[in-house]
This record gives sequence, C-alpha cells and structure tokens, in this order.
Amino acid sequence: MRKSLAVFVLIGFIGTCLGIRPSYAGEVDILLQKLVDKGVLSAGEAQEIKTETQEQVKQEISEGKYSSLPAWVQNTKLKGDLRLRFQNLHEKNDNNISKDTTVGRIRMRLGLESKINDKIKAGIGIATGSGDPRSTNISFGGYNTKKGIYLDYAYAKYDPLPWLNLVGGKMLLSDVLWEPTDLIWDTDITPEGAVIGFNKILDPKTSVFMKAGPLVLVDDTSTTSGAMAYLVQPGINYAFNDKLSLKGALSYGYFQVKGSAASSYSNGQNTKIGTSYANNYSDISPALELTIKEPFKPLGLNVENLKFFGEYVNNLAVSNKNTGYSLGFQLGNEKIEKWGDWQFKYIYAMLEKDAVLDILPDSDRYKGKTGMRSHEGALSYGLGKNTYLGFDVYRSWNIVGTSRKAPETLVQVDWNMKF
Amino acid sequence: MKVFNKIIMTVMILMGFAIPSYAEKIVMEGSTTVLPIAQKAAEVYMQNNSSADISVRGGGSGVGIASLIDGTCDIADSSRPIKDTELDKAVTNGKSVKAHVIAMDGIAVVVNPANKVNALTKKQVKDIYTGKTSNWSQVGGDNQKIVIISRDTSSGTFEAFSTLVLDAQKVRPDAVMQASNQAIASTVARTPGGIGYVGLGFLSSSVKALEIDGVLPSKETVLNNKYPIGRPLFMYTNGAPQGLAKELIDFIKSPEGQKLVEEDGFVGLK
Repeated sequence: MRKSLAVFVLIGFIGTCLGIRPSYAGEVDILLQKLVDKGVLSAGEAQEIKTETQEQVKQEISEGKYSSLPAWVQNTKLKGDLRLRFQNLHEKNDNNISKDTTVGRIRMRLGLESKINDKIKAGIGIATGSGDPRSTNISFGGYNTKKGIYLDYAYAKYDPLPWLNLVGGKMLLSDVLWEPTDLIWDTDITPEGAVIGFNKILDPKTSVFMKAGPLVLVDDTSTTSGAMAYLVQPGINYAFNDKLSLKGALSYGYFQVKGSAASSYSNGQNTKIGTSYANNYSDISPALELTIKEPFKPLGLNVENLKFFGEYVNNLAVSNKNTGYSLGFQLGNEKIEKWGDWQFKYIYAMLEKDAVLDILPDSDRYKGKTGMRSHEGALSYGLGKNTYLGFDVYRSWNIVGTSRKAPETLVQVDWNMKF
Repeated sequence: MKVFNKIIMTVMILMGFAIPSYAEKIVMEGSTTVLPIAQKAAEVYMQNNSSADISVRGGGSGVGIASLIDGTCDIADSSRPIKDTELDKAVTNGKSVKAHVIAMDGIAVVVNPANKVNALTKKQVKDIYTGKTSNWSQVGGDNQKIVIISRDTSSGTFEAFSTLVLDAQKVRPDAVMQASNQAIASTVARTPGGIGYVGLGFLSSSVKALEIDGVLPSKETVLNNKYPIGRPLFMYTNGAPQGLAKELIDFIKSPEGQKLVEEDGFVGLK
C-alpha cells in the first residue's frame, strides 16, 4: 500500500514537474533515489517509472499542441514546394544545325488535404503552369508578366475498409497507378476519373495491391470526339528479409482514342490521320523494382539504398513500332531531407512511336515524344532541412525513320524547397 | 422443406469447417538492439501459449515506430525514446503512443587484467576508438600500442556504443571486429594491449571492466543512470496494450522475462 501510494504520488509529481518546468527533472531523480535507498522502490522500478512517465508527459504535451487549434486546422494538412530551374537545351535538327535554348523556370505547388470524417478525405492543389498536363513549370520572360496558376488536382478519397479505397476527381498519379520510372506516365500528370484501390497485407513479408478505374481523356463521350481510358494494375510487395525487397506490378491500360482529335499538348510521333489518332492504345506493361537496403555495409560504406528497376510496354492494338522499355538504378538516400543526403539515378529509356499515347511520357525526355531513346542521369544533394539541389541530364535521339537522329542534350539545374 | 433444411444444415456445417481455428496474431517490429529480446520472449511465450502467433522483425527503431503509427505493427521495439516529430505524426494520425521500458542496455569497457589502467573518461574511450589516442601511455598506462576490439557494425551493441560513446563517429579502420560479446571478451583476455566493450551480462574475471567517468559498471549504476554508457530499451504500443500485446509485454517485464533479458547481456529491471 505504502509502495503503491508512493508510486502514485511520484507519477503525479513527475508529470507536473516535467510539464511545468523541465529543470525539475534532477529533483525528481533525487526523490526517486531516496525511495530506492529506503527500499520503497527497486532501482529497476524507479527507472521504469521515471522513463515511462517522461514518455507519457511528452505524449501529452504533443497532444496539447493540437488541442488548442480549431478542429478544421487539426484535420487539414498543408503542403507545397517551390523549384527554381536553370535549363539548357542543345539540339541538332535534321540538317545538323545546332541550336541552344537557355531558360529560367519556376514551379510552385500548393496543396491541402482535409479529413472530412474518419473515412473521407478531400484534397485540392494549385500549381503554376500553362495548362500543359505534363508540366507545372513556367518560364521567366514576357517582360515580367504575371504567371498563371492552375488547378492541379481536386479529389475525394473514401476508405470504407482498411484495405479498400475509392478516389475520384482530378487525382494524384500515385493514387491511380504505381510506376518505377516515368517511361509511360509523366509524374506531373493528374488523371481525371475514378479509381478503386485494394491494398492487403497477407503476412509480414507480403502485401498485394490493385488499382483499377475509368479515366476521362476527352470530355464528350457521346460523339466520336470523346475518349476514355481504362486502367487496371495488380501488384505485389515482397520482403525477402530486412534488407531486400521486391515490388512488381502488371498494368493494362486501354486508351480509346482512335479517331479522336489529338491533344494540343501532343508533342509525339504517334501515327495520325490528319490531326486525329489513327490507333487505340492497348498497353500491357510489367514493372519491377528491387530495393537493397544498406548494400555496401559489409564494405564499410554507408549508403542507404540501392534500387534496380525496369518497365516494359507493348501496345497490343498495333503490330508495328509498338514497344518500349526503361531500365535503371538509383543509389543513395531514399529521401533527400537534410544536408548531405544524396541520390543518384540513371535511366535508359526507349519508346517506339506507337508504344504509348504521346501525351503521357516524361515531358523532359526528348520533349515528351515517343519514337526516341534516351539516357538520363540525375543527382540530388541535400542543402539543409527540406531543401536540395538537383542536376538532371538527358541525352536523347530520334528513332523514327531512317534519316537524322536529331540528338538533343537537356541539362537542368534545380533548387528545390519543400514546405 | 426438409430438403431445403438439409441443404441449409449442410452449408452451415461446411462453413464451420471453412472457418480457421482462432489464433491471435501480433507483429513486433523495430530496433535491432531489442530484436534478440523480442525474438526470445516471443519464442518462449509461444511455446507456452500455442494459440499465440507473434511475428518479430527488425529494421531499426525508426522503422518500428513508423509502422506503429501507420498501424502495420502492434509493438514497436526501440532503443531510443520516441522523437517529437514522431509523436507529432502519431498525434495527427490519431494515435496515442504508450512507452514500456523493458530493460536497460549497459555496456562495459573492458581491458586485459594485466593492464594497469583502471579508469577512463567517456571522451578518452571515444578518442581511443576513433584513433586519436593510440598508446596506453597517453591515458596513464604502459608504453604499449592500443589494440581496438569492436563488435561488427550490424550488431545492436555496436549501435549502442556508437551512439552513447562515439557520437556516431567511425571506429579506427584497423579495429579487430568480432561477431559476439563472448568473442570480444576472449580476444581482450588474450591481448595484453586490447580494449573492447561488452554487454554487462558478459563480464567475467578474464577481463577487467573500467570505471567510466569515475563509475564502475554494474546493474545498480546502470539502473540509476550513474554509469554513463547505458540507456533504456523500449517497446511502444498504440494506447494501453490489449490482448496478446499486453500479455507479451507483461511476460517480458515478469521475473521470467527479465531473466531472458539478462541472458542476452542486457540489464533487467527486476
């Protein structure tokens, strides 16, 4: 009884001391030691009480930070980023004449996600840009003209079960599909439509996922000018052990665009009849990513991650010039979060002219065209908390026709800031 | 009607067979230091409770705490207190993290019994292991080269020593790396100029434990925080533990569980 009372009083005292003035911690240690000396507590019990109570007080202080804020603020997360870019494009045309284009660009994105209730979230994001679905960059110039802000995404997410979710609206690409490289989908694209997602942990080593849904490409589906896409992507995560894991997926996307007017943002070399697409795109695409944590630890080198990845795509709707693939690796930190974090990535990519719809691939790789092959090397280096430098170099060639290869080299130097 | 009833009965019986027998399952994840305790405790507990299914995996303290916050594990093993940023994330995810101290990690710095040095400061130990000090005469001993013996970098003991003594600086490249506490003790015992470090449970008369900052390592000095190379080891749960998670933590804190803790070289709380 005496011991229980002592413990009870002590916990209250420690909590009060730590909550009001952390410098009382030393006095608490003395009190605990006296109780140990008098045989009321064992040294282990004293240690347990002190440490667990300190942790409890930390938790309560943390909860208190939020309890003073309005409920809608507590339920809303705000995020954004700003990127300043220097870019040089060196290209040669069919007549072997060189041209250099140097621009300064900015990208600003601001988004919020709010928890409507325990099962529903809504997200809204705005970004700089020109309306191009594959880019939120805006170039300097125009005698200091004001730059445009666009709706980047606006979605609702419904999680009826822990393993099931539904997303609808103008969605983030990561909610629609998983891809190890941007061979088929530029990561800036925010698809429009609805997607159902499953994610189930089968055992501590294995989880499976699936995403599927219809996407709207051109709004008028009542006439031949309307166009839809249908996606399904089952996949698996498997951890061989703490250090080695594999992620894989098999995607199928049916882009019903034959006869539809090509997008004004089409930069590619898809086969067209006049200004309309000549084919549908029935793309089957397996993708794999192998992650090795601390791969060089036996050699005494502290490198967080090594990844190998690749994708293949085949457009089943046509029989010629219909494939593509990418292969690459990434070395360094998983995320660039602080000074000295780094990441290097290399990707080799090849896309034949009718492998994928020409408004989807990475817009920086040969201006987003299909019918190309390309090497990309990218280095990111952390400058401090939430800020890093990026160097990205693409060397690309045309592979359509038998004439010139029209090579181009794109160099981008970025200063990124996240908030 | 009778035929219909038979069909219903048959379906219900088959459904009964289809339902697997009930087994409560929990996942523990996190610190590689705590991993041996978690593995051994889970193994012994499951031997005595056949319906319990406990999955244990490492990954590091940060991984375990992140999994607890994401809801993909039931108990996060950690060799450090939870960080404020992790607590903030837990609170915004609606989680109320509860800490359970399950043992103390105390590390003794040991030398060959013939060595006349009896005490070092923590800074002197750091200087020896990082290569700044290379001869015993620089710290009051004989003119003899210091032979550094260390645990391999994947061990929890190395991680603790690196955090508590080396401030994460690198060990001298010519250090003799050993795969176990016993191997460290026996190497120091046969190397006159050797210095090593072991969990308190691995001290024996074949090596001499040094005073660090004026305090000899012992269960008592680790528990009362006077000995400077010690730290609490945690298991975190989301709120007060329930069911199997509670039973397992209670078992680890029991005298039987604490005996397992000490068998692995850690300092028990009992």
